[in-house]
Amino acid sequence: MRSPFRPDDVPDPAILDNHRPLIKSFERRGLIRRGLSLGALVMLTGCDVKRPEAVESALLAISRFNDEVQALLFDPNKLAPTYPASMILKPPKFNAYYDVMDVKPVNGATWRLELSGLIADRRPWTIQDLQALPQRTIVIKHICVEGWSYIGGWTGVPLRTFLQHVGADLRAKYVAFKTADDYPSSIDMASALHPQTLLATEYAGETLADPFGYPMRLRTAVKLGYKNPKWVTAIEVTNKYPGGYWESRGFSWFAGL
Amino acid sequence: MDKSGQSRGSPKEGAVRTRTLSLAAAFIAVAGIAHAQSATPGGMPPPPGMNLAESAAMRFPQPVRVGDLLHRTVLQPVESQNVLGAVREVVRTGNGTIEIVIDFGGFLGFGTRPIAVPVDAMVLLGQDMEVVAFTPRQLRKFPTFSPTGTTPVPNDTIIKVGLAKPSH
Repeated sequence: MRSPFRPDDVPDPAILDNHRPLIKSFERRGLIRRGLSLGALVMLTGCDVKRPEAVESALLAISRFNDEVQALLFDPNKLAPTYPASMILKPPKFNAYYDVMDVKPVNGATWRLELSGLIADRRPWTIQDLQALPQRTIVIKHICVEGWSYIGGWTGVPLRTFLQHVGADLRAKYVAFKTADDYPSSIDMASALHPQTLLATEYAGETLADPFGYPMRLRTAVKLGYKNPKWVTAIEVTNKYPGGYWESRGFSWFAGL
Repeated sequence: MDKSGQSRGSPKEGAVRTRTLSLAAAFIAVAGIAHAQSATPGGMPPPPGMNLAESAAMRFPQPVRVGDLLHRTVLQPVESQNVLGAVREVVRTGNGTIEIVIDFGGFLGFGTRPIAVPVDAMVLLGQDMEVVAFTPRQLRKFPTFSPTGTTPVPNDTIIKVGLAKPSH
């Protein structure tokens, strides 16, 4: 049967063929692929689908707009739900952009946290230095963009306490992280100062195990899982957009919960 | 009102079309996200020639309380995460190795039979477990578990089980 939505002027079907690799890269399930049509592409790009960059920049513009709206809606004083310690999943769930067999443990004795950017005191930190600062324990849900979640118990110095201690410019826009597994990440300053954002060194009362980010990882209750870099080696406070591993592959940057 | 009686291109029909396209656009916006977390698959089988204990040691075995393993869903390490069964109990065999007894197979919980899988053939996947060293076809040939010659491992015992990243 002829579709009632079929336009009078049908675009050249060769356009879809020309953009086949791009469409392939979007695929996850057949359902989604079937949802993708030439019409949708036309709408996204103001009718200019001859250039793949146009499609990508249109999608990225939507994503950036989403980020801005999320930042506006973010309430720095609203706490994420917490749970009793009895609900902590032991051990936590492992995830990374590679399988567990490729995890490279970090030597805690030689590990140093390097500081850069808009920070007054940029001396490197040892794990003992971090643990000498006031600690906080939170039992929160880790929510992955893939759809799974678990409840975990994390202990560490609140990032706010740490940033104040080293004289960071708290009016700066971004706090960026580098990690031993080459997984750069960054969050907005408001989320960095949220009371449920920690530089975590313990899980369920025990030293963080190797696959979960020993000696130190970021753990925040206000962001999706992929905004929680493990094996953190450096922190930078900056006004220049730092991006991140998945963010440079099209994931939303703000990724708030 | 009979919508099919409207002429083509009427404002109402245009609105319907726009909504359909918006929905499609929303799908595109999220499609890349779910895809991208799986740069390398999780739950890889042991490399050829490697025994179970050696391959389990590469998966960063973590301490876990035996009582916390009971009733966990056991999955196949593939993107569709097919359910293979559920953990019934943990036993120690005569030669000291630990095996996970799984209520295996069946349909909607009926017609399952217990099989014992070496703990080194399995991994923890958050709240679930996976069998990484045997395919479902191999598991179907496992003998039905008989407790003779094994001892149940008490709930408060801590054992070590390897990890995997999600397979999806």
